[in-house]
Amino acid sequence: MARQKPTTTTPLSSSAPAPNRTLILDNGAHTLKAGFSTPTTTDREPNAATDSHTIPNTIARSHRDKRTYIGPELADCADFGELAFRRPVERGYIVNWESEKAVWERSLFGFEGRGEGAVLACEPQETSLVLTEAPNAPAVLQRNADEMVFEEFGFGGLFRTTAPALCAYAPSPFPSTASSSPSGLPLECLLVIDAGHSHTTITPLYHGRPLHTACRRLEVGGKTITNQLKELISQRTFDVRREDWLVGEIKEDVCYVSQSFNQDLEKVWRGGRYDQRSSTNDGSSNNDIVVDYVLPDYETIKRGYPRPHDAGVNVRNRALGIGTGAGGRREHILTIGNERFVAPEILFTPSDIGMQSEGLCGTVLQALNTLPSAALREAFLANVVVVGGASLMPGLVGRLEAELRSTVDEAVLVRVARAGDPVKYAWLGGARMARNEEVMREVVVTRGEYFEQGDLWVRRKFAGKVGR
Amino acid sequence: MATGPLRFCTPHIDELPTTGSRQAPGFAWVAVSGAQDDPAKNWGTSNRKRARASLNGPTEQQKEALSARQQREVERKIRDLNSDNSKNASELAIPKKEGGAGASGAVRAGKTPNTKKILGSGKTFAHYLDDEEAEIARTGRRDVDVEVSTGVQRPSKTPIARRKTREDSSVSGSPAPVTPMAPPPWPRTAQALSYGEITNLDDVDDEGEDAVPPLPSEAQLEALLNAPPLTYGQARSRPPSSSAAPPRRFCETCGYWGRVRCMKCGAMTCSVTCKDDHDQFKCLKMYA
Repeated sequence: MARQKPTTTTPLSSSAPAPNRTLILDNGAHTLKAGFSTPTTTDREPNAATDSHTIPNTIARSHRDKRTYIGPELADCADFGELAFRRPVERGYIVNWESEKAVWERSLFGFEGRGEGAVLACEPQETSLVLTEAPNAPAVLQRNADEMVFEEFGFGGLFRTTAPALCAYAPSPFPSTASSSPSGLPLECLLVIDAGHSHTTITPLYHGRPLHTACRRLEVGGKTITNQLKELISQRTFDVRREDWLVGEIKEDVCYVSQSFNQDLEKVWRGGRYDQRSSTNDGSSNNDIVVDYVLPDYETIKRGYPRPHDAGVNVRNRALGIGTGAGGRREHILTIGNERFVAPEILFTPSDIGMQSEGLCGTVLQALNTLPSAALREAFLANVVVVGGASLMPGLVGRLEAELRSTVDEAVLVRVARAGDPVKYAWLGGARMARNEEVMREVVVTRGEYFEQGDLWVRRKFAGKVGR
Repeated sequence: MATGPLRFCTPHIDELPTTGSRQAPGFAWVAVSGAQDDPAKNWGTSNRKRARASLNGPTEQQKEALSARQQREVERKIRDLNSDNSKNASELAIPKKEGGAGASGAVRAGKTPNTKKILGSGKTFAHYLDDEEAEIARTGRRDVDVEVSTGVQRPSKTPIARRKTREDSSVSGSPAPVTPMAPPPWPRTAQALSYGEITNLDDVDDEGEDAVPPLPSEAQLEALLNAPPLTYGQARSRPPSSSAAPPRRFCETCGYWGRVRCMKCGAMTCSVTCKDDHDQFKCLKMYA
């Protein structure tokens, strides 16, 4: 069942249709980003918004509905209250293949390969798969991934790489160099900071190849921030420890990274016994930090929303009969003050929760200090790209740039940019790379090669150790 | 009759005079080398006042011993913070497909023995990490970094005229036989090879400083690029240096800076009002 590469002249055995379509699958811990890309140069440039689909990578069970939602079915869920999640991707690597297979089937193949009910109908035998994972994966997990893709799903070809490595092929987010890199060629020097769900990785890329000694990982990601926010809210106002989805939405709506932590903390302090500070809305400056978050009740209010703090709202609601159950509309309000910026602060100061590691800026400098040459360091500092879902938090890029700027020598140019669409940036890079036939021919391992050469050879090839 | 140190009248005991005996007090100051002063044996006291009042403060060992329980608490909290699944997620089972035929059972279990094993294993990431660390401790390296030893190295069958020389191949140390097509695994742009001419790396001219430092040589870059990938543990961010600022503490009740420490449970609060709240509702003396 050997597959034939599109352009080699000597067939290995009986000819079969070569994989001419490539499925780019960015397998993240929070969501899958999947889409097709064809290597013909006449097609238009791949557009992340229309060509790729974002699918939640989880299995969720709702006790209220007594239903289990797998992957894309989560969009049908009406009641997100007390939803219990199980994620097949742990710390960035696919650990639980049973769940991952269920999610892939629902989203890529449909029931039993018939392609019905799937987000993307995909014929695995005719498709090459570009699969991403987190850097520094244990060897066993790499082997498991290869085995599953070839033996269980039966893809025609596989290229397994780290997600930051694909980012080198995406269009550069810096305005001065945006026009100069054609599709399919990697950028020269790029420092990719992937602020993902499980962790944040820092990968310097030189022509698309990672410099392994300088890769670092910070164990704080979007999930850590959500859990910290859950703890803070539960200690202070309302027990939300079982409400993963809700707190995730709260985080996306109201959390931000403050540019001056000390000042913001001063603004929201309610003061000591002898030093009362007012926190009501009398026009004082802390008014814009404290918000009231209206919680959804999934009957009338489907999605929570924040609004400026109103100290008298509970009294008024009681007077008007709202929220007592006798009247019509019920409205539960969560007041969120300094949790807005204290929770994301652990990305920059993990010692706040006791974690023994430096913050984001410190880790970037650790990574760069392993490089021998000052020129390389400056080159990477001038091309810092932040991708990943957690980078959507307002203020993160500005704070990172300010901290890097203050730590690094004044003469060095520091440019930090967030990708246009941080969640889909790696997918976009993979799609652009897949349109370049030459590159694909060199890096993709076909099914025949896998069965012929074995998994160790395949793993070494993906690590860049074996030339063709 | 004794006039020496014997105080009582003891008729049966005579003290012989010796040279050099003189009136001396009945006690002497002696340097006590007890546990308090021997730093190797001093684990510190659990009495917080004495620890605070001791002269030199707690030694490194004392700090470690006293805070072992705190460290365990902190690590448990961090593990919870980084936990993916909800607490009740272990009971989530994949629902059976409706109307699945008998074949679906085989499909679910996996098509080949390898995949059956993978699909059926209940290992978590911690297991895989431990396995890898055990393998590294046992053999000193991972199998990805090892030179390929399986398979016979076939002598190259390409005619000599068509063989590319080693210098063109960008993969160093690969044992695979050199085939006629040996392009580098990743494409390179042309300007990658002209290292000597990179002078405008920075857009900004340094005022008065030297010219831009040159990029490292091609051999050095090759060495960097071909270095083996780090293991999971090696890639972790290092802890901050001990000269960095101590970790910041926040108030338990409201989140401001922590300024006052509760004597009973060790939690910090910011002000008297928050401390009252802590004592009433949150202090561990309620449970402990």
